[in-house]
Amino acid sequence: MSGAPPSARRRFDPSLLLFGAIAAGLAVLVAMPIGWLGWFSITDSAGDLSLGAFARLVSDPAMRKPLAITLAIALGAALLSCLVAIPLAWLVARTDVPLRRVIRALVTASFVTPPFLGAVAWELLAAPNSGMLNQLARAWFGLGEFEYVVDIYTAEGVTFCIACYTFPYVFTLLANALENIPADIEDASHILGGITWATARRITLPLILPAILAGALVCFLQALTIFGTPAILALPAGFHTLTTKIWSLFQYPPQTNLAAAAAMPLLLITLLVLHLQRRLLGRRGFTVIGAKNTPPRLIRLGAWRLPALALCSLIMLNPVFLPYFALIKAAITHRISDPLSLETLSLRHLRFILWDFSGTRPAMINTLILGFSAATIVTAAALVVGYLSSRQLVPGARFLPAPAMAPIAVPGIVMGVGLFLVYSRPPFLLYGTLWILVIAFVTLEMPAGFQQVQAAMRGLHVELEEAARIFGATRLVALRQITAPLLRTSIIATWSIVFIAVIRELSATILLTTSETKVISVVIYDLNESGELGAIAVLGLFLLLVTFAVILLVNRLPILGGPARVRM
Amino acid sequence: MASVELRGIRKSYGPNVVADGLDLAIRHGELVCLLGPSGCGKTTTLRLIAGFIAPDAGTVTVGDRVLSSAGRAEPPERRRMSMIFQSYALWPHMTVAENVAYGLRLRRTSAAEIERRLALILGVTKLEALRGRYPGELSGGQQQRVALARALIVEPETLLLDEPLSNLDTNLREEMRYEIRRLHDAFRYTTVYVTHDQLEAMTTADRIVVMNGGRIVQIGTPEEVFLRPETEFVARFIGGTNILAGRRDHGLVRSGPLAIAYGSGDPGTGAETRLSIRPHEIEMLAGQPPGGAANHFAGKVVRHTYLGAARDYLVELDGGQLMRVSTRLETVAAQGDAVTLHLPPHSCRALPR
Repeated sequence: MSGAPPSARRRFDPSLLLFGAIAAGLAVLVAMPIGWLGWFSITDSAGDLSLGAFARLVSDPAMRKPLAITLAIALGAALLSCLVAIPLAWLVARTDVPLRRVIRALVTASFVTPPFLGAVAWELLAAPNSGMLNQLARAWFGLGEFEYVVDIYTAEGVTFCIACYTFPYVFTLLANALENIPADIEDASHILGGITWATARRITLPLILPAILAGALVCFLQALTIFGTPAILALPAGFHTLTTKIWSLFQYPPQTNLAAAAAMPLLLITLLVLHLQRRLLGRRGFTVIGAKNTPPRLIRLGAWRLPALALCSLIMLNPVFLPYFALIKAAITHRISDPLSLETLSLRHLRFILWDFSGTRPAMINTLILGFSAATIVTAAALVVGYLSSRQLVPGARFLPAPAMAPIAVPGIVMGVGLFLVYSRPPFLLYGTLWILVIAFVTLEMPAGFQQVQAAMRGLHVELEEAARIFGATRLVALRQITAPLLRTSIIATWSIVFIAVIRELSATILLTTSETKVISVVIYDLNESGELGAIAVLGLFLLLVTFAVILLVNRLPILGGPARVRM
Repeated sequence: MASVELRGIRKSYGPNVVADGLDLAIRHGELVCLLGPSGCGKTTTLRLIAGFIAPDAGTVTVGDRVLSSAGRAEPPERRRMSMIFQSYALWPHMTVAENVAYGLRLRRTSAAEIERRLALILGVTKLEALRGRYPGELSGGQQQRVALARALIVEPETLLLDEPLSNLDTNLREEMRYEIRRLHDAFRYTTVYVTHDQLEAMTTADRIVVMNGGRIVQIGTPEEVFLRPETEFVARFIGGTNILAGRRDHGLVRSGPLAIAYGSGDPGTGAETRLSIRPHEIEMLAGQPPGGAANHFAGKVVRHTYLGAARDYLVELDGGQLMRVSTRLETVAAQGDAVTLHLPPHSCRALPR
């Protein structure tokens, strides 16, 4: 035996210092913007205590109406999401409908499509005059020049467009729940004399209802706090949602106190809904899920297989097929009203984006810098926090997840307002730099990153590391030789999730960006205002390409180095 | 090899006291079992010895080194110990050989020496053929042997085992019990073995440390703790027993209408006391008790179970006490039969209340 000293010594662990700093940093990251937000909401522009902003929020129709519209849209989007996601999830998870894997991939594609890009695509499809669907309808049904069948510039249009990209939340939660209902639980009901319908009602439904409701609540929150879709579709139609209203309050002359007050309902509703959701999912805890059990039985559709597939395709037309087609067509035709033919093919938009338009290059560079740095910082911090809290290393470590998870209750646009208030004045004058965006993305994405890492840490038995310790590895050696290699897949997945989220973020970005710090999502928004839809299509497709490349890479991860034979 | 000594060890998590003043001296080369129900503090004790946690008070000494004292602990990697974990904790990204040799690599042992000791230990644990496999490709028993090999190859001063057999099926568990004892006899490391299974403790231990509620309730050889339990808890936990509540009365214990003579134990100083008698020590006779014979009591068969090698009866005595009786196959009685139970005084053990 070698290496150990004859007597015990008290040794200071320098890593604890770093851990403490990260914990403090996390707390400040969330506490400062929310604190300033709260302060601004209860003061006036002179800095005196005042409830004037809140009074205007409830009395001024210009403020009250957006709130009502926002709630209606959010509710509608949640309902619509359930309406399409429930049959889709059931078909994919429990029946033998063909191409189940492809359908799942398409749902993933909808999930990662930036909603603002979807909104632009639906402008191309369903704008009352130039929209392709309306042009088609005119040609087919012989309508007059200004007649149309669909108009995306309406509250219904906004609701529909949001639902296109929120239904995956319901789908994923529900499909998982359906797949995890073991056949033997249903068998048990059959044996006890329950007929098929009774089984569905008494056993299956109570097991999946929490998943549906939880998914619907996420949709509701997403729709409530989204900026891109209403900014693109509602503003031209002349109405506001709460998020676009908040944004407009930052236009000259800025009314920051009112904006802070307007952000409060979003914050409070989010807190409330998250609380509801936790109770919903927490109470029964889905105990069947994760238990070792027999896989569910697939229901044979027989003659209904093809109609079922047709239904799935019909649903997927809206978030994927039609918008993607519209974007591709807009990117390669000369003018967006041109029909798709050899004569109208044009590289004009590509040339414009790559060479003529001066905004592209800095935006791409900024986007990549922000994506890389935010993803790296979040992953590193999430690892440290996840490690500390799961191993209870420092006193109070179990309180660490709270500040890491807190931003989940802060919608992007609310965070944007808070960060603007903190960092646009001394002592932290970061407005106008990329730093404020880094801070915004790190804060906003910390919960997602932390949840990923925490799940991975839970799956990693603490004894694996302890074993290394007892055989002579210091904590850092054990981390390097045991923990890190075993977490590698999760680490890369976490990094990629954050990266994808960052490059498509718009809600917080729109308030924090300046002409020097444009990113692709903001450029797309600007180009939309100037009507350059073809150029948007090119940039959007580029964004999608990067996203899909990252996803593909993550999905192929197990082959990336390391023994592929490892099984646990 | 060193002795391990715990002095006044206390550890609590909030209001929850998991180790409440533990004193224990383990001799060189001894195999000691910490035995108790789940939550009794035995695993905490092992982790305190390993240095994964620091005690609130008290010391852990190995040889002449004080390894843990109030609020501080020499880190596990400096304790010259090795451990077998309940989950085995084999590293899934390393082969069997890499897992086993890990400790030697960290000690910067030469490649030739590693290879020599690896060959030796893989031979002893019958793992030569599996050295290139990954843990995910091994059966539970094979994984257990890898964990054993990995723990032994570093020639530790102290070997710690945390419920090493609890994940194995019954047959394999029995085989591995003897295997662990055989390896201990061969290598003679000072060993602390945590288990909740009394059979495991009986077959492997030199001494058993019975724990309950964060305290050590009795220490002794397997025979001592079985034959001379000092508390009701130990009597019940090890071997199972019948407990009769009663009062001290002129050298007898009076339980309801019954006056019972006892041959061992300490009835304590209070008025209330307990008697313990094991099911297999009770003799069951047909019919009414002979007049005047000591410790013969009338009862009625409430339940009869045929166990193949023995019969198990539940008998209600006239005083209302329910007694488990384990008899030979020849002793036959039906439910409702009137029987006599003879509790031989030398098998009745008084326990302080």
